[in-house]
Amino acid sequence: MTYLTKLIDEYSQLPLIIQLAWAISALLIVAIIFLIIALQILRKSLRIRHKEKVTYKKRYEGKLINYLYGGGVSSLLTAEQQRCIEEFKNVVHLKHRRKIIVSILFNLMNQITGEMTEAIKTFYFKTGLIDSAIDRLHSKKWHVVAKSISELSRFNVCEAKDEVAKFIHHPRPEVRTETQLYFVTLFKFDGLHFLDEYQEPLSEWVQIQLLEILNQFDDQQICDITPWLQSTNDSVVRFALKLAQIYNQFEVKDTLMELLTHPTKDIRLKSIQVLTSLYGIEAKEVLKANFESLSIEEQISFFKLLEKLVMPDDEPFVEKHLFHKNFEVQLLAVKILKSLNKDKFMGLSTEVYEDSNPKILEFVKSI
Amino acid sequence: MQKKKIVVAEDNSTLSMLLKFRLEKEGHELFIAPDGKQALEFIQEHEPNMIITDIMMPFVNGLEVISHVRFKLNKDTPIIVFSAAGQEEMVLKAFNLGANDFMSKPFSPNELMIRVNKLLD
Repeated sequence: MTYLTKLIDEYSQLPLIIQLAWAISALLIVAIIFLIIALQILRKSLRIRHKEKVTYKKRYEGKLINYLYGGGVSSLLTAEQQRCIEEFKNVVHLKHRRKIIVSILFNLMNQITGEMTEAIKTFYFKTGLIDSAIDRLHSKKWHVVAKSISELSRFNVCEAKDEVAKFIHHPRPEVRTETQLYFVTLFKFDGLHFLDEYQEPLSEWVQIQLLEILNQFDDQQICDITPWLQSTNDSVVRFALKLAQIYNQFEVKDTLMELLTHPTKDIRLKSIQVLTSLYGIEAKEVLKANFESLSIEEQISFFKLLEKLVMPDDEPFVEKHLFHKNFEVQLLAVKILKSLNKDKFMGLSTEVYEDSNPKILEFVKSI
Repeated sequence: MQKKKIVVAEDNSTLSMLLKFRLEKEGHELFIAPDGKQALEFIQEHEPNMIITDIMMPFVNGLEVISHVRFKLNKDTPIIVFSAAGQEEMVLKAFNLGANDFMSKPFSPNELMIRVNKLLD
């Protein structure tokens, strides 16, 4: 006690700056000790949880496999399967264990096909996991809703369609994305009808994911994409243009022609590209007439279209743009001229033109 | 059918458990390896009649397992390879190294049984 009093006395006699330094040091030491203890507790609890997870995983894997191979000849559940379902029913309400069960089921769904996937789906329904996923759709936390939709999508639960449809205009993009993926995964091209009235932005990444899912289906019969090409939502139009190009939608050529005058530049540009791939010869005269009012990018795209769909009567137009201010247009014009009229092209290299680019001529000559 | 030794190298515990259950039901003796390294140990220790291996595995991958069996141990044990979507190039490499058959994930366990029995006959 006297030692402590002496220490306090000595401390109070120290200059203020030294006192402050000691106080900060003591505070830091306490903080470090506290953090070390907290970290130890955290590590221990994580280890326990991991151990528990591994134990339950092993236990549930075994039981699930018994369930899968416990089936009889008919599609009805055997007594053993029924007993297994009852056992799981008692634990699916526990969040941590439910997560483990769902991850095992999903893991297996990714690895195997055939009648076993149907048995897994039956298991998902009978154990009440589906009810739990649908209940979680009513959660106030957006990430719980998104994960729940993703789970319903993974287990092909078409029955939750109406419940999930409510989230198509959700304020969080993550929830909207999961909803869109749910519809396309389960209802293929019909699942894209949410685009009819979609006003939220459809990101490039989501578009790629949707196209990837659509690409996996054997049935590539696409529905009418005209309403999406006419959408007031630019991102929907961009997506519809991708669909038109990938699925060769020749029947929407007229709508694509209308898009050549769309107020958004990149949509006009993409429309030219899609028309090029769809051999949209009708676009040629329209673009030729408005060539001067087009942006440089559009002019380049148009020349690319011309390169593919050129006719002899296009020669005067091409000739007019041989000395265009843009290098790419010049190159394309020379290439097109070479394909149309070789003599005239050869004449270009012999005659000296003020604006001609001899390097372009040499290059085109060599190809 | 005569009891045959099969080494299954698969890092997915649920799938390997499922295969063990199914193949043991057929009367075979199974050795489950969670990675290629342990698979090689099982192969050297038990001299199996068949090897079923995934391509992508920790430590030693499926291609290395095939290569070890064919070129180091000089064995012609039938090998079935599991591959996932997008691993077509790996499958070609596996065949070049001496794999006998392959199955793309997701696969049907019943189909696998047919292939296993065919190769074991």
